[in-house]
Order: sequence, then C-alpha cells, then structure tokens
Amino acid sequence: MDEVTISSDLTAGLEPIIQLRSLNIGYGKSLAKDITAEIYTGDRIAIIGPSGVGKTTLLRTIAGLIAPLSGEINNNCSGRGDIGYIPQKLGLVRHSSAKSNVMLGARTRKSRLHLPFLGLGEELNKEVDQLLQKLGISEISDEPVRILSGGQQRRVAIARALIQKPKLIVADEFLGELDADNIDSIIDILETQLSEINATLVMVEHQENIARSLATRIWRIVDNQIIEERVE
Amino acid sequence: MNKKLLLWITVIGILTILAIDDIVEDWSTIDGSFEKIYIFFSQDLFPPDWSILSSEPNIKCNSEIGFFCSQAWKGISETLQMAFIATVLGFVISLPIASLAANNLYPLSIAMAARVFLAGLRSLPSIIWALIFTIAIGFGPFPGVLAMTLYTIGYLGKLQYEAIEGIANEPLEASMAMGLTKSERFLFVVIPESSNNLISQLLFMFEYNVRHGTVLGLVGAGGIGQYIDTNLKFFVYDKAMAFLIVIFVVVVIIDILSMVIRSYVTDESDFKRPKWWTVFLPGDAAMSINRKSLEEE
Repeated sequence: MDEVTISSDLTAGLEPIIQLRSLNIGYGKSLAKDITAEIYTGDRIAIIGPSGVGKTTLLRTIAGLIAPLSGEINNNCSGRGDIGYIPQKLGLVRHSSAKSNVMLGARTRKSRLHLPFLGLGEELNKEVDQLLQKLGISEISDEPVRILSGGQQRRVAIARALIQKPKLIVADEFLGELDADNIDSIIDILETQLSEINATLVMVEHQENIARSLATRIWRIVDNQIIEERVE
Repeated sequence: MNKKLLLWITVIGILTILAIDDIVEDWSTIDGSFEKIYIFFSQDLFPPDWSILSSEPNIKCNSEIGFFCSQAWKGISETLQMAFIATVLGFVISLPIASLAANNLYPLSIAMAARVFLAGLRSLPSIIWALIFTIAIGFGPFPGVLAMTLYTIGYLGKLQYEAIEGIANEPLEASMAMGLTKSERFLFVVIPESSNNLISQLLFMFEYNVRHGTVLGLVGAGGIGQYIDTNLKFFVYDKAMAFLIVIFVVVVIIDILSMVIRSYVTDESDFKRPKWWTVFLPGDAAMSINRKSLEEE
C-alpha cells in the first residue's frame, strides 16, 4: 500500500493528541506509506477496509506497541494509563477474576512507584464496583475470565480500559462475533462512558454499520489510500 | 510408509546397533544373566525385611507408636522434608531468574545471560552438587537440601521460562500499552497466566526431588538413601528392598495428590475433575478416559 494521506479540515484550530507524519508502517516490510493524520480529543475514529491492508498494524502503531519503519508520531498520550488497549482477542488475564482484570486498569491511576502488593484504596475499589455495575457484570466480578461468555468478556475488557480514564482507547474489532442485542447494548454503554471521561476512541471495525453507529470519523482504506469521511 | 521416513528409520536403527556393539565388548557376559537376576530377586531381595517399619532402639523418638520410631519413617520423613524445603526455596529463587530468561519479557541479551546461569546450575546433577556440599559442610541432610535447591533452581527455572514464553501475547501487549511497569506485568499478568503450568511444574519438581533425594543418601547427604546405602554396603538386600518399596508407595501417593491438586487449576477443572485412579495409566489412556467421562456428563 503506497501514498496514504488523510486530510481533514473539520478539526482545524484544535490541538491534536496524536499526530502521524509521513508514517511508513509494517513488520520489517512496509504495509502502508506516507500516512499523515491527526487524532483530536473526543474523536471517534473507525478504521475500515478489507483484510490485510494494515488496519491492525496502524492501530498497534498508534498504541505504541510497534515503532513505525519511518516517519514521525507526536504522541501526547505516552503517560501511564493514557492509552486503554482492547485487542482483537481482548487481552484479558484468563485465570484472574473479572474484577482483578479491571483492577489492573485501575492500577494505572496510581504512580509507577506504588508498590504492586499494596491495595489500590477504598475509593478506587468502590469506583471499580460502580463501573462493573454500570456494565452489568457486577454479579460475575469474582468469576475467572476464562469461564465468562464472549459478551461478558468484552464488557470486562471495556471496563478495564474505561477505569483507567485514558485519553485514548484503541480497540481492534472488539465487538466481533457478538449478537446484535449485545452489540447495541455495549455501544450504548461505551458512548455514555466515553463522553463521561472525555476519552478518544480509535477502533478497527470490519462491519461498516457498527463503525457508523459509533464513529464520528471513518478512515476507509481502499486501493492503497485512506479516505476520510465524517459521520453525521 | 514414506520412503524418506523408512530411510531415516533404517539409518537410526543401524547406528543404534553399531553403538550397542561398540559398548558391549563381550557378548558372552550376557549368558546366564537372566538367571542371575532371577536368583537375586527371589533369594536376596524377596521377601523384603519389614522390620524397617518397626521401632528402632537407635532412633531418638518420643512417640508411642512404633512406626514413627522406625528407620522407614525417619528416612522417608527426612527425605520429604529435604525435598519440600529444596522445592520451595528453588521455586522462590528460580521464578525471578526465569522471568529474566523469558524473551517475551526481557531483551535477548538479558534473557541469554539468565539462561546460561540456569544451564550452569542444571549441568551438574544433584548428586554431584551433594558430593561437593558434603565435602564442604559434612554429612547429613543440610548438604542434601543445598544440592537439591541448586538443581531445582536450574531445572525449574528452565521449565518456568518456557511456560512464561508460552503465555498469550495479547494480555502482555494490553498491559504494555496501558503503561504498567515490568514488575506489575510480571505479578498481575505473567504469573496468573502461567499459573497452571507453574503449579504443575512445582508439584512435578517436588516429586522429582523426593525420588532424587533417595539417591543423595548414597553420598552421605541424608534421607532414606543413607539407609539404603548402608544396607547395600552390608549386603542386606531384603531390607534395601523394603526401603525401595516404601519409596515407591510414597512416590505413587505424591503422584495422586499432585494430580488432584493440579486438577483444581486446569481449564477443564471448571467443569470436571479427572478420575484419581487414572494416575496408574499411561498419559494418553488417562487423558482419553478423563475426556470420555467429561463428554458423558
């Protein structure tokens, strides 16, 4: 994929939280070149396109998990807990309880020097319980993640990201394989919570209707180009 | 059968026969060996001398139950204590070293250094470590514990870093993206994710140390092996046989206990625990029976 550019003047004048400048991404071999884009606070961006065009690679680059082959990223989300990441397989600790997984996200709100074996405090604990309640998973909070249903696991992954109060949530096809009712319910919860904490969302989604129901901007990768579209 | 595979089997077969022929200098020594083994078993080893289960006047003991003042109890309890201490100490020390050796947590240069260290500890069998420590410290269970601990660190460390490297990458990546520190990732992601394997390996190592603890007595490093060694030196084979049967029974009991404990930490344990008696069957057969009973439910 070559010559990828994104232009948007709809957000002119705002300070971007992430700037991508002439980015060349891939694993050793280049998958996409010359990506230039800005991500602003409160954006809901959905990256869509056919398989193998580099959607997940772009997402992982934004999350800071892989370095670009060339180009520049100005990242204002590099602090502890600034990014909440929901990978395709959710990345939950399967043998830990649902609550322990969410507590992992809550831990990022404490300093790096906070000793691992110390508790997180009553207030944060209460906040976790409230969030689990809002997401409808308080009853299974002590169950190990491995025995939970797909929908419950997704709610745990979302709770883990939200409790961080991150600047940016990066999610990779995290609604895949869910039934329509579950998708609608999760989208409703996510929209409310994202607005509450004023977080930005960048997600990869292969189903366009889902992408449109959640996103305000769509980056469509077609024929080696990223075409940006505003969703009204 | 595939021609290439047949060729490989033939080559390996020929090499094996040549190696055996090279090692066995005089084939005539095998003549009558089965008869000798039969005589040894039927006349010297059997029947075992079970007096080792009765109270022994030389053993300091306050219990009124004779068995607890016996050589068998003294020996096996000492071996179990040695194995327990060595396994716990070895586990605690090897885990942080194993995390350094795992290349999904640390760069290759650090991982390689940790691996070389673990390989160094593993390269000497525990009996050689025991020999070194009995020379340095003297006879008794303490050098045995030190020997087993060092070997446990080397052996368990290798199993642990392989288990850590085998965990799913996504939870690790998610925690990296979140900004968790290395120690937080290790404690809250790596340990829970590899907990099944770590517990399983710990139990295996305890069982291994009990079995090897019996050998360490041969170099004066305490435990039941010391009794076996003394009896062998004085040709009291029937007593030695009784000690070996005691070890066999203890190892089987540990194996059953270890299987029961492990059954609580496997994924399948959420739905079904394996049948205890399958411990006596080969691995494949046991797995097939446990799976079948799971399907029936």
